[in-house]
Amino acid sequence: MSMHDLTAANALMTSRANEILRQRAASLAQAPVDEDSGESTGLLKFRLGLEWYAVPISGVREIHNEYVVTRIPRVPDSVLGVINVRGEIVSVTDLATLIRVPSRSELDIDGQLPSAIIVANDECVSALVVDEIGDIIEVAHGAIEPPLSTLDKAQAEYMAGSVYIDGLLIGVVNIDKILEPIGESRDGRAS
Amino acid sequence: MVEFDRSAFIAKFQEEATDLLQRLNEGIITLEAEPGNRPLIDQWLRDAHTLKGSSRMVGLIEISDIAHRMEDIMVKVRDGEMPYTPDMTDSFFEALDAVVFLAENAGKPAASEFDIDDLTSRLAGLAATGVPQAASVAEPPQEASASASEASAPSAAEPATPAAAPQTSASSEAVQHDEATDEDDIHSDDDDAASVGESSSSAEAQPARQGEKSQMKTQATVRIKTSQVDRLLNLVSEVVISQIKDEQRVRDLRMAAGLSVEMQQLWSRIRSTMSMLPIDEQNMLDADMRIFDDLLGSQRRSLVSIAKAYADDTSRTSAVVGDLQEQAMELRMLPVSTVFNSFPRAMRDLARQYKKDVELIIEGGDTELDKKVLEEINDPLVHIMRNAVDHGIEPAAERVAAGKPAAGTIKLSARQEGDHIVIEVSDDGAGIDPARVKAAAVRKGYLTESEAKSMSDREARYLIFEKGFSTAAIITEISGRGVGMDVVREFVVERLKGSLDVDSELGQGTRFRLTIPLTLAIIRALLLRVSGQTFALPTSSVEETARVEPSEIIKVEGHEVIRRQRRTIPLVPLRDILGLDAIEQDSEGGKIPVATLAFSGHRLGLIVDAFVGEQQIVIKTLGTHLKRVDNVAGVTILGAGEVVPILSVPDLMANGRQLTGARMRRTGQVKEKQAGPRKILICEDSFTTRELERSIFEAAGYDVETATDGAMGLARLREGLNPDAVVTDVQMPNMTGFELTKAIKSDETLAHIPVIIVTSLERDEEKAEGINAGADAYITKSVFNQDTLLETVERLIR
Repeated sequence: MSMHDLTAANALMTSRANEILRQRAASLAQAPVDEDSGESTGLLKFRLGLEWYAVPISGVREIHNEYVVTRIPRVPDSVLGVINVRGEIVSVTDLATLIRVPSRSELDIDGQLPSAIIVANDECVSALVVDEIGDIIEVAHGAIEPPLSTLDKAQAEYMAGSVYIDGLLIGVVNIDKILEPIGESRDGRAS
Repeated sequence: MVEFDRSAFIAKFQEEATDLLQRLNEGIITLEAEPGNRPLIDQWLRDAHTLKGSSRMVGLIEISDIAHRMEDIMVKVRDGEMPYTPDMTDSFFEALDAVVFLAENAGKPAASEFDIDDLTSRLAGLAATGVPQAASVAEPPQEASASASEASAPSAAEPATPAAAPQTSASSEAVQHDEATDEDDIHSDDDDAASVGESSSSAEAQPARQGEKSQMKTQATVRIKTSQVDRLLNLVSEVVISQIKDEQRVRDLRMAAGLSVEMQQLWSRIRSTMSMLPIDEQNMLDADMRIFDDLLGSQRRSLVSIAKAYADDTSRTSAVVGDLQEQAMELRMLPVSTVFNSFPRAMRDLARQYKKDVELIIEGGDTELDKKVLEEINDPLVHIMRNAVDHGIEPAAERVAAGKPAAGTIKLSARQEGDHIVIEVSDDGAGIDPARVKAAAVRKGYLTESEAKSMSDREARYLIFEKGFSTAAIITEISGRGVGMDVVREFVVERLKGSLDVDSELGQGTRFRLTIPLTLAIIRALLLRVSGQTFALPTSSVEETARVEPSEIIKVEGHEVIRRQRRTIPLVPLRDILGLDAIEQDSEGGKIPVATLAFSGHRLGLIVDAFVGEQQIVIKTLGTHLKRVDNVAGVTILGAGEVVPILSVPDLMANGRQLTGARMRRTGQVKEKQAGPRKILICEDSFTTRELERSIFEAAGYDVETATDGAMGLARLREGLNPDAVVTDVQMPNMTGFELTKAIKSDETLAHIPVIIVTSLERDEEKAEGINAGADAYITKSVFNQDTLLETVERLIR
């Protein structure tokens, strides 16, 4: 009996370890995609409301599920708060608010949120909340067109381009723009 | 100013140089194996060039010279003018070692123990001939013979030790001009080795010993990027958190085992009762009951044994995790002397700058502190010491008259007290005069006369931490600008999560006391709840937590206050500062939880929903994306994995005071003045200066009135001109600027007008005369520029 329990505990630990290894493998597995992208670019599709968007795979660190957001007072509306990713504090960006797209998901703050794509550049890391995560698609460099001219200026800033695939026009987000640090200049000294 | 800042820059240079030197050293090692590695040579040259430039910037000319010589050699190698020979390796290493030594001892007289000229001239020789002029005695012979400069092989091939020395003959000077005779070069090198060695009498022993030492050193230490250490610490704190969860689970498991024991006991009671029942029914159940009996027994045994094994394992792991955490923290600990060592030099510069005689005593340099804290602590300490030299230590004559030694003493000490480090900067100077501070505070509109009267001396001393406050009676270029103690204090509180206090006895001296946590990573914090969310507040700034009766809250002019220990403390709901929504909640018997913050001599009562408790927390930043958020200094992760924002005391204080209207009076005044354009009276006999000043003020939006001498200026004032400030020259016909100042300050209707003296009289006695006359600022023309002038005037017009 006790042997059985210990085995179960063992199995649990092993599955946790496997999970961690799997995540690590997943993040490592992105490197090759990045490397042979001389001709093509990997894009990770995701859905916001009714529309599909994509983020270059080179900027994606991992997909994060099941997290609890801690709200931070007096930050822009597009920042839902912060989460704890294995000891690292990562901001949670509500992409729908940022690019002014109606999102259908009921954002339950302090509760469960839909999946988040953790994106990073050299300086910043943030988790983008999306409604649904899609496939990874390979597109030729040339296939990425400039952002739609019909976008309003605020929205266009966050778009790196658009790509037409399977009858869908997919907006490719501009990670560097999304990851611009918030609150960099401080005027706290002014009285 | 430039003089003063140098120590700070030297520290930065040292940091940069450490990295450059490491790369340069590594580069040489790689070059030895691949002499034709062009990208490496280019990188190496860039590094050497950076080293040259940076060292020159901070005034370390010797390093700059050495770097320059090394560059010369490497450029020739790059351009193919001479081959890279392994012999060069030694020369480069010797040069780099010299740079390391010079960089480490930057600004200290120790540098003179090194024969720099000799080294640079040998490097120059190498650049000219391609043959090392350095102490190649330590070079293994086979390397020398493999080189292109084979001519040198015979002598270099001699045993690396004793034998080489006696051949010493030619002086390095001679070598430099000697182009061809390689033999001589080599011989002279031995001589040089002797002069490089500090006190050794035998030239040959020195290089060998140095080599041994540096080898030992590389074995004993490993250079690790601080970012790597930080990442490690991050992971360790994760382990600590899951360990805490594990301990909780041990308790849960024990409870489950206890339940199982109870269940079995209950079952045996039920069984014995059932055995009293009629036999028929017992028979029917007998078999099942026996099985159930066994099951319960094995469940209990299994649970109890798992719980015990788990508890044992967890307690063992706890001990290890505790050690792991401690050791990991220790990785970042460095002695404070790494910062303190640059202070004697800084103090010498300061003393000279302020023309004071000051002795600096340093104690407790071996006290260890987190590297992050150390990086931050230099600037505040320099600021405090500057303050001590400027305002604390009196001029020698004054000191002697007061029966003190002519030279002032400033003592800098560090010691550990519990989980804090206490750093004190004390001087034996004049001390802070509460009366003078109060007077200045009243003059500058921080206090009313009656507030000043009711203020204790201790509170008055804390006024020096007010924003923009200056204890100096007058503004000069280098001090009294009120940029100082407030910034230092805010820095200590906000960045170092510590506190800064001042203690002073008039005539005896002043003591500043910095209390900072041993590490930036962990602080004590009060956890509290507001609008359903938990926040952490650093305990170091919390003066009191109390649950006050609603009847204790007094309404004054629409604002709520409470009285605590004969003080009136403004109250503000933390929820309002943070912009959170109110939520329904049960109040604890009608009492209202209030946390009183004390910062910069001000108090502020924060109304919260509930106190959760006090505990040690690990500080983390808000991540890379949120660089700065108002009111939030960082976050922590609690045992249960919950992320909790840590509040920033300086921000809360500033925003809270705005909400309570504590600043209304001053902002109100400013607005009133800004209603119309501000008016300036310029008294200046020189046409050029007058028009220059006029254009400066007009460009800044002032109305400018002018007078060509003091008498005319005074007349215009008495006519009722009522400007916001008077800017005056000193040497003018009819009435000097000093006389004008005196006249203004002794006239009750004019005394409130700030007077700014702009003059070419720079001697201290003249400044003193200006102070005596009652001027509010004294700007010398030699440093005159439009920013200083405008800034000074704007500072005075409140």
